[in-house]
Amino acid sequence: MAERRVKVESEVGLHARPAALFVEAAAKAAGEATVAKGDGAPVSAKSILAVMGLDVRNGDEIVVRVEGDGAEEVLDRLAEIAGAG
Amino acid sequence: MLSVLSPVPGTATGLAQVPDPVFAQGMVGPGTAIDPVREPQTAVAPVAGTIVKLHPHAYVIATPDGKGVLVHLGIDTVDLKGEGFETLAEEGAAVEAGAPLVRWNPAEVEKGGRSPAVPVVALDASAEALADVVSSGEVASGAPLFGWR
Repeated sequence: MAERRVKVESEVGLHARPAALFVEAAAKAAGEATVAKGDGAPVSAKSILAVMGLDVRNGDEIVVRVEGDGAEEVLDRLAEIAGAG
Repeated sequence: MLSVLSPVPGTATGLAQVPDPVFAQGMVGPGTAIDPVREPQTAVAPVAGTIVKLHPHAYVIATPDGKGVLVHLGIDTVDLKGEGFETLAEEGAAVEAGAPLVRWNPAEVEKGGRSPAVPVVALDASAEALADVVSSGEVASGAPLFGWR
């Protein structure tokens, strides 16, 4: 399992547009992909309902975990989306 | 089958007409969109359920069996930081379909140079899960927009 902590720079947090991009990227993970706000409970990073319900705002730190082959590449992309201003 | 209702009065256009590729290409999910009547109005809940998110410019209602519906009031309206929008409910509350959620005025949004288009999107759904999607013609607030299996 690969894990990364990312500060969310997206102005709207993980709302509609960034959330859609985030979930699309997470869906490429071969195994499970989760996202948590700080040290909170992780939710599926492949569910847009779960990601939008997490209420991640600009400046929040998220913890992203990805399992399976290519996990680092998926994490790179997720970090890029969350970290984009 | 879940019936998803129009949150606003206007003309159905389908998602492809929404001037934002993330919605137009169905990346957020399948559904349709409404070109709203240009007058002050109250956007309502498209389904009965729990208010998962309530921003001034957008909200998500999840049904008890986990179907989430996103309503986005205008495009790039997050930039307005809530100005011109008044929320009428609280996140976490249980609401009936048709419950009033946000007061807004599409005419003002348009005057500010933004599209007032209202995408209504089924989250985590495939296009095949939707039926009888209304993508043209006039719709009243509370009129059926699509069924969700």
